[in-house]
Amino acid sequence: MIQTLNRRFSVYSALFAMIPKMFMAYQLWFWAGMVMNIISITILYFFWDAIYANSAAISGLTREQTINYILLAFFFMPLVGNDLLWEFGSNLREGLMIHHLLRPVNFQMMNYAQQLGGLVTRMAFQLPIIVLAVFLFDLKFPSDLNTWVAFLISALLGFTAMFFFSWVLACMTFYTTEIWGLGVLIEGITIFFSGSLVPLAMMPEWLRTIVLSVPFAQALAVPVGLLSGITPLSDAPRIWLIQLVWIAGMGVLSNLVFHFAVRKITVQGG
Amino acid sequence: MARYIDLYWLFLIQRLKTLMEYRISFILGAASTISMQAASIAAVWVVMQKVPSLSGWSYNEVLMVYGFVTLTKSINHMFADNLWTLGRVYIRTGGFDRFLVRPIDPLFHLLADRFCQDGVGNFIVGLALVIKTSVELGIEWTFLKVLMFVVAVISGGFIFIALNLITAVSAFWVVDSVPVTRLIFDNHLFAQYPLTIYPRAISILLTWVIPYGFASFYPASYLLGREVGNVAWGAPFIAAFLMFIGYRFWQFGLRYYSGTGS
Repeated sequence: MIQTLNRRFSVYSALFAMIPKMFMAYQLWFWAGMVMNIISITILYFFWDAIYANSAAISGLTREQTINYILLAFFFMPLVGNDLLWEFGSNLREGLMIHHLLRPVNFQMMNYAQQLGGLVTRMAFQLPIIVLAVFLFDLKFPSDLNTWVAFLISALLGFTAMFFFSWVLACMTFYTTEIWGLGVLIEGITIFFSGSLVPLAMMPEWLRTIVLSVPFAQALAVPVGLLSGITPLSDAPRIWLIQLVWIAGMGVLSNLVFHFAVRKITVQGG
Repeated sequence: MARYIDLYWLFLIQRLKTLMEYRISFILGAASTISMQAASIAAVWVVMQKVPSLSGWSYNEVLMVYGFVTLTKSINHMFADNLWTLGRVYIRTGGFDRFLVRPIDPLFHLLADRFCQDGVGNFIVGLALVIKTSVELGIEWTFLKVLMFVVAVISGGFIFIALNLITAVSAFWVVDSVPVTRLIFDNHLFAQYPLTIYPRAISILLTWVIPYGFASFYPASYLLGREVGNVAWGAPFIAAFLMFIGYRFWQFGLRYYSGTGS
């Protein structure tokens, strides 16, 4: 009698404990994410602080300008990192590609809308760490409304150009059917070529030429350059124009590549 | 002990056979992590072309620190990657119970179950960086320095493994231990650069609390003949201590474990 009661109690208490456990799992992820971000920006700050220990300016950039640029680039990383590749990958694996293609909506536009939604969500989740950086590392935002408008336009254009380019890269999964390795490879390239680690001004001429001949920087270094005040506001119209050219070029290329690559789909059991 | 070495060998061969079935995945996996390292190294290179000293450390010296942490991290990545997946892959699915009924140590079984090829890329990059920088800096490889290198890499690897083990045990309570592990693991990023660039509190943290400093900064300081270098000989003791704590905590967690009922 006592034993059965005991056993029942242990079963139900385990079920009882399940809900707080599940709740805690989400909480843990949130706090782990916060700590990870704090570690990253702390390293960035002190690395650049040490670099500027004996120099007032490097390649024309002051300590404040560079740190501000680097921190802003860190927060706006979602601009350059969409998860189109993983999206394509999971569609391939689950055999869903054909369903998407048969739908009466444009497949590319559908993905664009989703990635844009992802961008807004991810930026919203960056907010707590941005607030923290303002207090801890004296991060400064421009007070001038025009700079913000110029930045937002440039950010949206750059994001769009990068979306089309990612589309081209994502089509590679049709050939490789391998996603993880390809994804990490592209992530490494993105981190450097977007200008998230070093301001473009500090790069040697030849390297900057290479970086600017691929679209990564359009989505991060270019808009953040405007927001951090490194790029003068008067350059904005010229920058938008260049970004529009990128969008046009990448838009055409992405459709062309998809057109050919889609015939290569080897669906895994779908 | 000999039995466990034989067993590990068998597990490894089995695993390699599986991996070789997907050759492209294997190579891409091993190579992919290199791109992340290349990005960071390229950034340090660009900056240090402009400013040759990072609080008294030259480009090659900074790279040596970076190389050490990459190398020691890769040991953990290759041989103990399953500590990350304990909760998700083994506990949640009930697969962990399999380990408990077998006549070998469950922790050994967990680790031996999956050699992770993705660490190979980091191992090669780390080793290449330490060798490259030691040649460029004209370091003479005396017996003591070779000994330090071997001791540091093994101890550093075990420091990574021990800290991941301690945090992974939380899987017995919260199932998904990855966020808990990340909380501690990510601190190794501090150890990519000489600890002297940080405020004192951070270098104390990385030496005495989450001692990743022993996996990079201190052994590099020793090879470079810097003042704090001799601290590096503490690494094996710290690693052994952490492994002891980790194993005891693991056993404690095992007693609590009752399965997820799946």
